[in-house]
Parts: sequence; structure tokens; C-alpha cells
Amino acid sequence: MTALSQGPARTFDVLSKVGDEQAFRQEIRDWLAATLDPDWRRKWQSVREAELRELVIRWLEERRKVGLATPHWPKEWGGPGLPFSYQIMVYEEFSRADAPELDMFTISLFHTPATLFEHGTQAQKDKYLGGVTNGTDIWVQGFSEPGSGSDLASLRTSAVKQGDHYVVNGQKIWSSNGMHARYCLLLARTDPNGKRKHDGISYFIMDMQSPGVEVRPIRQITGEAEFCEIFMDDVKIPAENLIGAEGNGWQIAQSTLSTERGLLIFGAVERLARSFELDGKEARDTWMRDAQLRREYAQYWAELQTIRLMIRKLLMELEANPDKASPTLPTYIKLTFGPFLQRYTEFLLRAEGMDAMKREPAIPGTGHSSRLRFNDFLKSYGWTIAGGSNEIMRNIVSERILQLPRK
Amino acid sequence: MSDEMDLAVLAESFAEVLGAEWPREKAIAWAETAGVTYQAELWTAMAGLGWTALTAPEAQGGLGLGTDAALRLHMALGAAVAPAPMLGTTLAVELLARAGTEEQQAAWLPGLADGSIRVAFAAPDDRPLAADGAAVSGTVADLLDAASATHLFLRATRGGQSGWLVVAADASGVEIARQPFVDTTRAFGTVTLDNAGADGDAYIACAASAEDAVTRAGMLAIAGDSQGGGEAVLAATIEYLKVREQFGVPIGSFQALKHRVADHQTALVASRELLEYAAGLPADHPQALLYALSAKQHATRTAAEVARDAIQLHGGVGFTAEFVPHLYLKRAKVNEALWGIRAAALDRIADMLEAA
Repeated sequence: MTALSQGPARTFDVLSKVGDEQAFRQEIRDWLAATLDPDWRRKWQSVREAELRELVIRWLEERRKVGLATPHWPKEWGGPGLPFSYQIMVYEEFSRADAPELDMFTISLFHTPATLFEHGTQAQKDKYLGGVTNGTDIWVQGFSEPGSGSDLASLRTSAVKQGDHYVVNGQKIWSSNGMHARYCLLLARTDPNGKRKHDGISYFIMDMQSPGVEVRPIRQITGEAEFCEIFMDDVKIPAENLIGAEGNGWQIAQSTLSTERGLLIFGAVERLARSFELDGKEARDTWMRDAQLRREYAQYWAELQTIRLMIRKLLMELEANPDKASPTLPTYIKLTFGPFLQRYTEFLLRAEGMDAMKREPAIPGTGHSSRLRFNDFLKSYGWTIAGGSNEIMRNIVSERILQLPRK
Repeated sequence: MSDEMDLAVLAESFAEVLGAEWPREKAIAWAETAGVTYQAELWTAMAGLGWTALTAPEAQGGLGLGTDAALRLHMALGAAVAPAPMLGTTLAVELLARAGTEEQQAAWLPGLADGSIRVAFAAPDDRPLAADGAAVSGTVADLLDAASATHLFLRATRGGQSGWLVVAADASGVEIARQPFVDTTRAFGTVTLDNAGADGDAYIACAASAEDAVTRAGMLAIAGDSQGGGEAVLAATIEYLKVREQFGVPIGSFQALKHRVADHQTALVASRELLEYAAGLPADHPQALLYALSAKQHATRTAAEVARDAIQLHGGVGFTAEFVPHLYLKRAKVNEALWGIRAAALDRIADMLEAA
């Protein structure tokens, strides 16, 4: 039971096709057709949590064989060094083929390398990056706390230096995949007397197997438990696990938060676009016969295109010159996509009626377009609350972009 | 014109000129004039700058630019709430370029380009006149900008084929009764034809593909007018929220207000992206009409909602005729209904999505 179909018929060399867009896309399509089990959704759905990790890792391994485990990694990181436009194509083709997402590895594949390559020591890179690339080590982010959500800089987890190590006490929350994680990117306060609350925060690598670390999964409204709480009781972190300088944690965290450069949201939206088209087709003899629901569907088509167009514009700007890309577009994209996803998935509940009420196990790897109606609707809050809630995004638009007075 | 930078420069020059020619005070004063939909000095200035020649072919004295340039002009006119019958020019040029004979193009395109011809243009789904003879009689109700036009482009059939019949507004047998709107920048007219001349050259036969191109140009122009209006009324509202003080602070510091503003701003940014893309597609792109209809239903709705809330965000002064929000709301409501209510556009879009 994997995402894989029976043995590939030929060998594939996707990376050698760079330079010829059509050939590159075709090679990915052929490879996906030969490698991806068309029935993977059903198989992943029925698997137990412990086995899921094996399935995901095997899918990652399959991708590694053709150099697509980390399509966004530059050569310096040991990645394929694809031009940005080809990275976009990879995401496009994977979404079009409905290939499983690697959301379990989001932190490992994006934030960890971005942080270590930008701010880590050579010893840190040598020690940790191998485990990231071969999928053996899953990383988790330890940022939010029960009392520090939108106001992250108020975090209170403390790290006190004692000789060659720090002693950490506190609690983290909303840490995705914490139960699978080997390492944690941890923000903790090393100086409680900083002038501003952003001062005195430091950035650490914490081994999740250290004594004093306790992980408790959080049951979500979807029935899944993707998030965790992490409790730290006198946890010892060696001083060499400090990333950057003491007190620089806030700046480092800020600089690596947007490391996915729009690719993740691009993938999510392309996945949704594929699903949207299927929704209309499959409802041809049911709710698409209802004048009102049909109009609502037509209305959502325009909204979906606004999001796709904004993301494409952002990606094109990033490709042309990352330093000159619009600083405001990512905010507008998030504040459009989250609410749209929520309204559209809620629309499908109204359109499909009692059929949408049936409970089914979630399908890992399908992101926000599992096409299990109620699950997708509930999961849509992930885009309206996480990563800066809608309310925070509205503050950013009105205060930072439109310059309305703060208080 | 495909260069984004050039389009931005063009848009900037439209806005700059309109800011001088049609400032806020003039727009507010114009609201007192019932049903006059054309202001001679403004139109002359526009024609003098070549705006009326924007999309006309170069051979006929035009600049030969495309729907993407026209979109920027209609956005600017909407932003200025300008009483200028530009929609008729854009559509007549599109129709003539796509379906006019050489003689018809030579007869009208130069006058359209230099602004001496002002057109009232019937929507494609208006009830057509029967124009089989050399003279036509009948009534055309609800023709936009009829009272300010020199030429009427009326929906008509000839020999079973559909197209547009061109009639001079001052020709014998033509009478026009003005029907003012709440939006004083535009008006309807009822046209009565009593044996009005309709010789061979007066009828423009139109194939389905040309008709789609006209529909597309109309939908994009109306969408652009709304988009420009929505952006302008939101900007005016933000400006007001920054200076109006209550309880000792600017009311723009209240989160209940600024979050609404943030949502409006986001909606307009998203909508603009759709419009610019739709207007940049080649006319024969298989999805050109789908995008234009979607842009129209989406942008006109978005802008109307922004304008509706702009009055509320202004409070008491928003209810007075001395502040601008009402101008935009009234114009936005006309745009929403113009060339078919939203439900009709959505039905057509759904048909297209199902056929894809």
C-alpha cells in the first residue's frame, strides 16, 4: 500500500529536460503515470497514522530518484537548482495529476534549510541537512504559545544559559506534525529584559528526544490530529544548537517565514482549480441543474481566477527579480484565498445536501482539496486562521499598506 | 499594446488629465444637471488628446490600440465619474473594425476617431428592428446616451441576419425622448423612427464572432468603468477616515472600520487582476468572452458593494450630495444592470463552463 503503482517500465530523467519546457512537462507526466498509483487516495485514507509516515517517506524516496524530492532547492543546498519557472511547472504538474502533497515535510524541506543555509554554522549544516534530504528526520516549528498566537513576539518560553547549554522551560502550541518530529525549530526568550518584546528572543534547534520534552497531539474539528502541544520541562539544549546570535531569533524567524516564495499556496490553488472543474462536471445532473446553485458556481469561477492570476503575477515577479517583487501581493493573495476557500467549500455542503454530511476518514496528502466535502470545509479554517489570521491580515492591509492610523 | 509599463503610463496620463479637466467639484456640481450626459468641453479635450481615437485603426486616423488600452481609459473615466459617452465610441469602433465594409469604415471611423461622431450603441441582446426596406419605422426604448449622440447604432435584422443599423440622430423621421437616470452622468433615450432612411450602407451585418467581440468590448468597458469608480471611491473614503476625528482620534483608527476598508481594498486588487488579464487576451482566444463576462459580473458587483459601504463609512456627510460617494454608488448601480443583470451573465458563464 503505497502511492506507487507496480514497477516503473523505464527509467526517467526529468532534470535533463530542463531547457525544453514541453519535454520537461512530458517527462514528469510520464513518470507520474508510471509511478503514481491511481488509487492512492483510497489507500492513504484507510491507513493508520503510524503507517502513514512510511507511505509519505516512500513517496518522497520515489521523488528523489528523479531529483524531485526538493524541486525548490538550489544547487548549494544539494538540490537540483531548477530555474524558478521550472519549479513552478513541477508544482503545476503535480497538482494536475493529483499527486500527494508532502505537507508532513513542509518545515523540513522549506524552513529548516532556509534557516540553516542563511544563518546556521557549518557544523549545523553538516549535522542536520542529511536527515532532511533523505526524509528520516521530520522537523517541527516551535513558535506559537498558548498566550502568544497573533502576538507571537510576546512569547514566554525561557532559555537560560548554564555553562555549555541552555535550560528551556515553557509550552508551544500549533506545532504541525510534532508527534512525528525529530527536531524542533524553537523560539525562546534568552533575555526577559529586552527593550521591546521582539528583543531577547533566540532561535534554537531542539532535539525532540531530549529528556523533559513531552508532546501531546491536539484533536482538531476535522477529527485529525495534525497539530501538537510541546511541553518543555528543564530541557537541556547544547549551546552549539543556537542559530545565529543570541537575541536575533525574531529577525531570523521573520527572514525565513516566507521562504516558500508562493510555491505552497500556488500548489494549493492549482489543486483547488482542478477540483473545482471536477465539481461542476460531476454535478452535471444534480445541483448544476439548479439555476441558483449554477449561478453561484459561475460566480466562484471568477473569484478563483482572481486568485490564480494574482499568484501567477507574484511568481513571475519573483522569477524576474525577487528583490523587486510586490511586497503587498502575498497579503492580498492570502486574504483572498482563505475566505474564498471557506465560502466555496461551504457552498458545496449546501449544494450536495445530505450526501456531504456523511463522515469519512480524512485523506492525508490531499491538502485542502480532499473532496470530502465536510472535511474540506472544516479544514478551510487552516487558511483563515493559521499563518496570520484574516484579522491580522486586515490589520496589515489597513495599517501598513493603506496607512490608516494604528490607534 | 502588451507592454505593462506603457499601459501604466497611459493610465497615469488619463488620470492626470481628468484630474485637471474633471475635478471632484465639477463632478459634484454635475449631479445637479438632470439627464445631460455629455459635456462639450470635456469631450473636446478628450478628442484633442486622441482618446476618442484610441482603438480606431491607424488607417482611419486612430491609434490602433487594443482592448487593454481601452480598459485603462474606461477605468479612468469611471474613476472621474466623467459624463462622456465614450462607451459608444469604443463599441462602434469595435463593430466597424470587425464587421464594417470598407465604405462603412471610411464613412464613420475618422469621425469617431476625431470625436465629431458620438454614438449611442444598442446592446447585442436588445430587441432588433426589422430593417429589410430602404426606410425603417419602429421604437427603440432604453438606448444609452441617445440624447447626446450624433449617430445611433440600433440593433436590427436584415434578410434574417442580425447586425446594427446606423441612423444619424438629426435625420428626418428620427425622434429622441430623454429618460434621465438617478446617475446623472448617463441617461437613456427612447428613439422613435418614422420612415427613417436605411439604405444599404446604413446596415452593418454582423457574424457571430464579430458579435462576440462587440459583447466582449462592451463588458470590459463597463467592468473597467466600475473598477475605476470602486478604486476612486475607496481612496476618497480612506482619505476621509484619516482626517475625520471623533472621541479625539481619527475614525480610521477604529478596527471595525479599517477591517471593512481592508476587505474592500483586497477585493478591488483581486478584481483588477481579472480585468487586466481579460482585456489582455486576444479577441479570438477561446476563453476571451468567458473572461470578459466574468470580469463584468465580478467587477460591477465588487465596485457597487464598495460604493454602497463608502456612504456608510462616511457617516452623515456620506448622505449629503456635497460629498462624492453617492456619485459612485449611482454610477456603479447603472453599470451593474447595464447590458444585462448579473444573473443573466452568470447563466451564460455557467453554460460556457459546462460546454468546456
